[in-house]
Amino acid sequence: MSIKRKVLHFFPTRVAHAVQSPLAKYVLRRLLYLIPLFFGILILVFVATRLAGDPVKLMTGLNPRITAEARERLTQYYGLDQPLYYQFAKFLWELFQGNLGNSYALRGGTPVTTLIGDYAWETFKLQLAALFFSLVIAIPIGVMSARRQYSKLDVSVTTTSLVGTCIPIFYMGIVTILIFSYFLGWFPYGQAHSLEPSRYPFGSYTLDELWHLALPTAVLTFATLAPVVLLVRSSMLEILRQDYILAARASGLSERTVVYKHALRNALIPVVTYVGLYFGGMLAGAPITETVFNWPGVGRLYVEATAKLDFPLIMGITVFITLMVLVANLITDITYAYIDPRIRIE
Amino acid sequence: MTNELLKIENLKTYFDTWAGVVKAVDGVSLNVKQGETLGLVGESGSGKSVTALSILRIVPRPGKIVDGRILYKGESLLEKKENEMQKIRGKEIAYIFQDPATSLNPVFSIADQLVEIIRHHQNLSKQEALERAIDLFKLVEIPDPEVKIWNYPHQLSGGMKQRIAVARALSCQPSLLLADEPTTNLDVTIQAQILELMKNLKKKLGMSMILITHDMGVVAGVADRISVLYAGRVCESASARTIFYNPKHPYTVALLTAVPNLAIKREKLKVIPGTIPNLIEPPSGCRFHPRCEYAQPACSQEVPPLVEIEPEHYVACLRAKEIDVKSPLRAE
Ligand SMILES: Nc1ncnc2c1ncn2[C@@H]1O[C@H](COP(=O)(O)OP(=O)(O)OP(=O)(O)O)[C@@H](O)[C@H]1O
Ligand code: SF4
Ligand SMILES: [Mg+2]
Repeated sequence: MSIKRKVLHFFPTRVAHAVQSPLAKYVLRRLLYLIPLFFGILILVFVATRLAGDPVKLMTGLNPRITAEARERLTQYYGLDQPLYYQFAKFLWELFQGNLGNSYALRGGTPVTTLIGDYAWETFKLQLAALFFSLVIAIPIGVMSARRQYSKLDVSVTTTSLVGTCIPIFYMGIVTILIFSYFLGWFPYGQAHSLEPSRYPFGSYTLDELWHLALPTAVLTFATLAPVVLLVRSSMLEILRQDYILAARASGLSERTVVYKHALRNALIPVVTYVGLYFGGMLAGAPITETVFNWPGVGRLYVEATAKLDFPLIMGITVFITLMVLVANLITDITYAYIDPRIRIE
Repeated sequence: MTNELLKIENLKTYFDTWAGVVKAVDGVSLNVKQGETLGLVGESGSGKSVTALSILRIVPRPGKIVDGRILYKGESLLEKKENEMQKIRGKEIAYIFQDPATSLNPVFSIADQLVEIIRHHQNLSKQEALERAIDLFKLVEIPDPEVKIWNYPHQLSGGMKQRIAVARALSCQPSLLLADEPTTNLDVTIQAQILELMKNLKKKLGMSMILITHDMGVVAGVADRISVLYAGRVCESASARTIFYNPKHPYTVALLTAVPNLAIKREKLKVIPGTIPNLIEPPSGCRFHPRCEYAQPACSQEVPPLVEIEPEHYVACLRAKEIDVKSPLRAE
């Protein structure tokens, strides 16, 4: 409480007033919780990487003529001879200056920020497309299924969704690639663009981008679709039983208004939470999907960095992922508060 | 017969569940005259709510109206199309729910919910509808209507919410109000306030009302006529005076005896033995026979018809004429 007061004291009154609006207060409170979480995660991952092995050994392991002295020099060069707390303090200090260091292994010492910048966009593109399609498809299906509980439609939707949740995404990815890329040749495999402009469909760069995006988006959409359908359905079933839904019907409102306005708004509350948490992680890149589709995104980059014990890159991506999850959390909270006045007010 | 507003004949509403067909309402006949309050009384599970929901045709699945007639202002409601029913619900016949805590949508402000219904039935602008909603707030005696109307349900007390539920039901000046235990979930002082309010409003607006309750004490000062429901059937129907002072059905007497606050001598208060029957396989013959102290072998064989034993006094008991039941309200 008192800390918040002190913080508010610094702001000009106008900002202070805005900050004191119920929604802003709520968001601010959530943000304050997130800061210790952020640093906690950094410490954990930092310690875990240092325990995972020695990157210098890994780099030089295949070189039979490397001398112990050369190894020593490399270790010193990367600062790995320093005590752990010193290394972490240095990492934090540089982090605050926006510097995440240089990669050990990729593109000969490229700054980590540049690498993430290059890969992040592809991840966003893929994840947002999948998020969009899965929600647009899942919500109406879940609602329809709930409205006709135990009908043939409902039973087939539920069964398909249950099966869908059980298929591992890498398996679905491989099968899709085999069929649509390898056998039928309709879609390209791997990467986000054709290497040469001559291969662009109709010479259009945008079309080429969409063409590459299609398969991974379809698989990712399908994989995230099923649980959302089931959640929308069960949440909707619960809400349709409520008195206020019967009251809305008793007031003469049309079935459409009752279902899509009065019920859906309530039914979406748990869905927002789920989707927020789930896609928070997804925004940071889906390592499996990206690896299967050889997609140049943050997830695949993370896998490579880990395999090579590329400490700065691992830490850099960790910072990025954590920030993404936190941002997604924040967006979830705001959406949540927007939908549910019980959170927004008092 | 011209002043008859609602007439229900032999209504049957069944729920087709996994366990079997629940015969929640099984041959109910009622009528409500213009400007009159009918008390619909019966134990929990006797089919009061299902009867009311059937009138509006909003019985939740798997419930289904399987037989009977419902005439409202001489028109058959069961033959109307869904969109015609939507014009009747809320506008002609309004419903007040048992539990004010759950009958308002938690995610919309009160203003939004009232304005929506008012504009649905009347051709008004948003501003006009809002003014109408504020007037309604004044009508149901809510302080600070201009402020309170922007509240969300969770910001209001139970009594306040029930006043709002009453306001919502009255928003389009219905001719018939179905009040389903409107005071059961409120504490005693608030109960009295809400009942008083509804009684006054009913007079002021010239509506008819069906007041549903399991408590004879609630209908005492309010109802003109009373129908007593037992296990999905009407067992007695008469003027409130007759029901209280000259009941003929053993179940009615049992209900009266079970009411503590009806100024009866203490020692007479007793609970009705036994429990409400299973409605999937209800008792044969008279459904009350397993609990009836006057039961005879014939009672489990023959279904007692609802007979007019004296003008405007209907009883469904095979032995109505022989047995001499006494209202606990009558001095010995
Ligand atoms: N959705 C449903 N599925 C199955 N049975 C139901 C359903 N709704 C109601 N019933 C049955 O219908 C019967 C009558 O219920 P109803 O709600 O009309 O009782 P009530 O007289 O209003 O009782 P209360 O005083 O508890 O409100 C009950 O026995 C109940 O089991
Ligand atoms: S018919 Fe028989 S069992 Fe039923 S109320 Fe009358 S006396 Fe009792
Ligand atoms: Mg009820």
